[in-house]
Parts: sequence; structure tokens; C-alpha cells
Amino acid sequence: MSAKPDASEQLLIEAAQKDPRRFADLYEANFERVYAFVARRVGERADAEDITAEVFHQALANLHNFEWRGVPFSAWLFRIASNAIADRWQRAARESGSPPSALADDPPDPSASVDPEAIEKCARLFRLVAELPADQRSVIEMRFTAGKSIAEIARELGRTDGAVKQLQFRAVRSLRTRFEKKHQKRTRAKHG
Amino acid sequence: MAKQSLSEQLDFVISRLLDRPDAPLPRDQAARPDDPSVSPTIEVIAALRDLPRPDFKARLKADLERRISMASSAQAEPVPEVRATVTPYLSVRGAAAAIEFYKKAFGATELYRLQQPDGRIGHATIDIAGAKLYLADEFPEAGFQSPESLGGSPIVIHLDVADVDALGRQAVAAGAIVVRPIEDQFYGARSGQFRDPFGHTWTLSTNKETVSPEEMQRRNDEISRQETAAPEEAKPPRGRATYIREGFHTVTPYLIISGAAQWIDFMKRAFAAEEKFRVPRPGTDVIMHAEMQIGDSMIELADANDQFPAVPMTLLIRSSDPDASYQRAIAAGAHPVDPVKDQGYGTRAGTVRDDSGNNLHIFMPLPGDKIFQEFRSVTPHLYADNAPALIEFMEKAFGGKEVYRAQLPDGNIPHAQVRVGDSLIALAGSIGRSTYPVRPSSIHLYVPDTDAVYERALRAGAQSIEAPADQPYGDRSAGVRDPFGNQWFIATHIGSGTP
Repeated sequence: MSAKPDASEQLLIEAAQKDPRRFADLYEANFERVYAFVARRVGERADAEDITAEVFHQALANLHNFEWRGVPFSAWLFRIASNAIADRWQRAARESGSPPSALADDPPDPSASVDPEAIEKCARLFRLVAELPADQRSVIEMRFTAGKSIAEIARELGRTDGAVKQLQFRAVRSLRTRFEKKHQKRTRAKHG
Repeated sequence: MAKQSLSEQLDFVISRLLDRPDAPLPRDQAARPDDPSVSPTIEVIAALRDLPRPDFKARLKADLERRISMASSAQAEPVPEVRATVTPYLSVRGAAAAIEFYKKAFGATELYRLQQPDGRIGHATIDIAGAKLYLADEFPEAGFQSPESLGGSPIVIHLDVADVDALGRQAVAAGAIVVRPIEDQFYGARSGQFRDPFGHTWTLSTNKETVSPEEMQRRNDEISRQETAAPEEAKPPRGRATYIREGFHTVTPYLIISGAAQWIDFMKRAFAAEEKFRVPRPGTDVIMHAEMQIGDSMIELADANDQFPAVPMTLLIRSSDPDASYQRAIAAGAHPVDPVKDQGYGTRAGTVRDDSGNNLHIFMPLPGDKIFQEFRSVTPHLYADNAPALIEFMEKAFGGKEVYRAQLPDGNIPHAQVRVGDSLIALAGSIGRSTYPVRPSSIHLYVPDTDAVYERALRAGAQSIEAPADQPYGDRSAGVRDPFGNQWFIATHIGSGTP
């Protein structure tokens, strides 16, 4: 289920190598993947955002070095992300004066193999959220990214707790349905 | 109530997962082992915990775009002004000879030469008064074709020099042909145009006066007004004009062949040609000039010599019975090329080749044909790789007019007709490289003013063979060779005497 390298991606890369303004297309195509990859390895939302930003900054700066070898562009981005995460842990270790292994219970291993399928599913889910009806999307975003309680959201939206819970329920159900549908479609396409 | 309870249940799970992000995900055997749909829902909820903040994607994108525009403006500014250079790269047939010519004609210096194993020059750099030019032998197999292969070149090389008159004389002495004589131009230059022996055109120019763009436009408009006001050039009158010798038309094929005497005999047997006139070299059967008539048309011919090597050509011969004519031609010694059959384009026709190498296409327009109706008994047929260029030459030089053109999708032009004076000339070729055999022809042309047509032909790109001169047989005639290798003998009948 990983992103298959395809000709259109190659075209996007070549276009961006010629004209950096075209990098926006590559960003749009890969943002969710990179963020999902980073967020799974970094606990704090702020860190995930910093590292995601760093990945795209580096990708933009080094795009001319990218050579198309049939590997998905996202694999290159994941490698940059792994290095960025490792750097961050090493820097943190230097600053605290202790070896990285002593810094946390579970320091991320940058060489740990990427589970591209899980990343891809996660990225797809993020894109599905953006397609939800506005009120459902607001509830999901407030609940999951701002960590707000049902009562807080209800106050903000001027609705009852029950109505917000209902919106949350419909949103998750809709995400799950569309998630599974797309999942099946892709699987069929792959074997068809 | 059931829905209420489901949304309550779901919120309970979400709250737990959000409060304790590190807690293991509930498995299907956990809360509701009977409901298999719980697991995918949990999967969705777990993944949503990593959902990026709604504005982050847009913020990062804006940040990236800012960096991109800064990087591109930072790059654009410090780069010093880049001066591009344009260098003509000439493809020539015979690059080594061309280099020698450019040395003589323009005082070129050879800077570099790359020799190919097959003897061709793969690249050479020459310098003309500080201007650099590249040239190489043509490599038609690689699509690098010379003007000789293409039938001309659309590019003019403009060379600004210190003394245009001196260099013009030097170029002509080396073998360049005057296309436009050197003269003062309205835009402030003194310049002329020349064609080198390899088919490239050069404008040699020396600046004499700085003319403002407004003044240049004013002078140009003035010249245009004068040209419009000038009376239209006198058209050749219809019917037989006095400048055309009795019995002739504007166009007469002039065959220069080996075995001219034998050919006359052959034409008599094959097509009942009538010999009208013959000038043999005294004491030999070498024919210096001969004329014969077939139907309503004349054919002139001469034996080839050192000055005029043989140019066997293609003649279209109209016959009321092509099958019989074809058989007679074969019986008279011609070789079959293409037996007589109905042709898709409206004739019944066949082709033979005679011993002198001429192709004779014997045809009869089929009923309903409109394309070949106007053909006389004999029509010369030309070939050119670049047929439109040849047509244009005939239009510019002789006031010809294209009256028919068949063009195939592949660019080949199997048949075209140009009217010159009272006659038609047929031709075939291509808009690119012809698949038809290209061979030069030789044509005698009666015109109202030999000198003017001669000048026009040179301007249109022809080379001079013979300057205009009065001939003892009552014609004023000249000769030119067009860029496609065809020889044109231009004549005006001025005397009243017969040959």
C-alpha cells in the first residue's frame, strides 16, 4: 500500500528541479506522509511541526541532488526526516550532557525500518479529515489537535454537548467508512 | 437513544486515548468482542491523535514559498549581466574547400579543425576579422544538411566590415556570386549580398551614416510609396510575341547530351520528329546545335562538351495514342521504365529511357482530366529536393506563376506546374528531401528583355554562365545556372533573319 513511484511524481520532481516554484506541488503531494512519519516518532506536536518543516526546507535546498531511481520521492523525504530526528536527539543529548541512550526510555532509532503502509494509511486519513463537512471537521480538529474537551467545543460552537458528540461520532464513522472504502478500492486496483 | 449511546461510547474511548496517549489500543476482544467494527474505528481514532494542526500545512507552505522567492531573487541579483553569443554554424558540402574559399574571399583564419576518420571535417572554427564562425561538412545521415542538399539556405550571414567595396571585390575574385550589388542603403549602410560556392549567402556591409529609427521608417515608407506608384511591369503579350522566334514558344527544352545525332534519329523513328536545323562541327557528326519539331513543340539540342557536360533530362511527350507511341519508342531502341497504364492522376502514360539517358514520359490526358489538358506536345520536367524553392526561383527570375501543385502528406510533391510566358514547365520534388531522382535540366527561354531577366535571375540566386550578348543568329542571349543546377538559356529574338 506504499506510495508507488509513478511517472507523474517524476514529472513533478523534474519540474521542481527546473523551477523551484513548482516545489509547491511536491509539498502538497507529500505533506501528510511526512507529517505522519514524523509524528509517529516524535511525541510533541511542536517537535513534529519543527521537524516536518525542517524536512521540507532540506528537501527544497537539496532537490537538485535528487536523482530519480524509481524509488518513491517520499522514501527520500523519510530519510531526511530520520536524520533530522536523530540529529535532534543527539543535540538534546549534548545539551543535557548525557548520552542519547540515557535521555529517554525510547529514543527513536533513525535506522528503524519505516512502515510505509501505516504511514500511507495515516496520511490518507489526514486528507480525509480535510474533506469532512465543516462542522464535523471543526470538532475533529479541536478535539484531536487542540485537545479540547466536548464541553469546551460545545461552548465555542454554541451547541450542546450531545450535539458535539453526535458530530464527532458522525465524523469518525464517516472517516472509517471512507477509509475502508478507499482501502478496498486500492487493494482491488493493486490486484486487478 | 441507541445512537446517543453509541456517540457516548465513542467519546469515552476517544477521551481515554487522548488522556493517555501511550496506553495500548483497545483490541477487538476488549470492550465489545462481538462487534468486529470496533477495531477499525480504534485505528482511525488512534491515527487522528497525530492529526496535524489545521493551519500548520498552510503556514509551512507559505514559509516555503517565501524561501523560494527569496532564493530566486537572491540568485538573480548578484549574477552579472550575461552576454550570450550567437555563432553561425555552417553546414557545407566540402568543408575543406569552403575553408580555403573563406580564406581567399574574406581573409578568414583557420583556428581549429577536427578531422573525421572518413575524411570529412567534423568541426572547424574560423575567424573573419575578429568574428568567429563554425563550420563542418554536411552529415545528412545526422540531419545536418548543406544548402546544396536542401536547395538553398534561408539564413543570411551579415558581416560588418571596414571596407565593403574592397571585400566585395575580393569575394567575387575568389568565386562568390553577386546576389545584390553593393550600394548605399537607406538605413545608413553600404552593403551588398553575395552567395558563396557552397550555397551560403553573405551580406557584406559597412556603416556610413547613423540613421535614427524614425528617419529610417520615414525613408522606408517613402521608398514603398514610390514602388507602389511605379507602373506594373509589362506582361508578356498573349499569343506569339515578336521576341519569340518563329515556331517557338517561351519554353523549349535544350538537351545537352552525348550522341546527339543518334538521338535525332531515334526521335524521328519513335515520335515522328521533324529535323528543322542542324549545325555540325565541320568535318564531324558532332552537333553544335540542332532543332527539331514534335507536334506543336520544338526541341533544341547539342552534343555535350567540356564547357557543357551532358544533362540528360525528362520530357513529357503528349500523344494521342500513348500505347502505340510507347511501342514505337521501344522499337526505336528505348528502354522500358514504366509500361503504359492508366495513372490515378488523370492520364494514360508510360515512361521509357533513351540511349542518351533522357526519360521520356509519354502521356495522354484521359477524358475528364483538367490538369494536363493544356500541355503541348513536349514539356520539360524538372526535379528539385526543394520544389517550392525552385518554383519561387522561377517566379522571381522569370515571372513564372505556380498553377498547380499536388503535395503528399510526406512532403513529396509528385507534380507541380509553373506557367512561364505562354508555356508550362512541370516539376516534381519535395518540401524536404525528395524521393524522386534529382537531376538538372536545361531550358531555352524566350523573354522580352534578356538583360533584365538575366539580372533578375542572378538576384533570385542564379549563377551566371554567359553574360547577355548579341548572337549572330538574331537573338540576344545569356545563360544562368539556378541554385538547383538547372541551366537556363535566356533569349530575346531581335533579328528578323532565320537561323
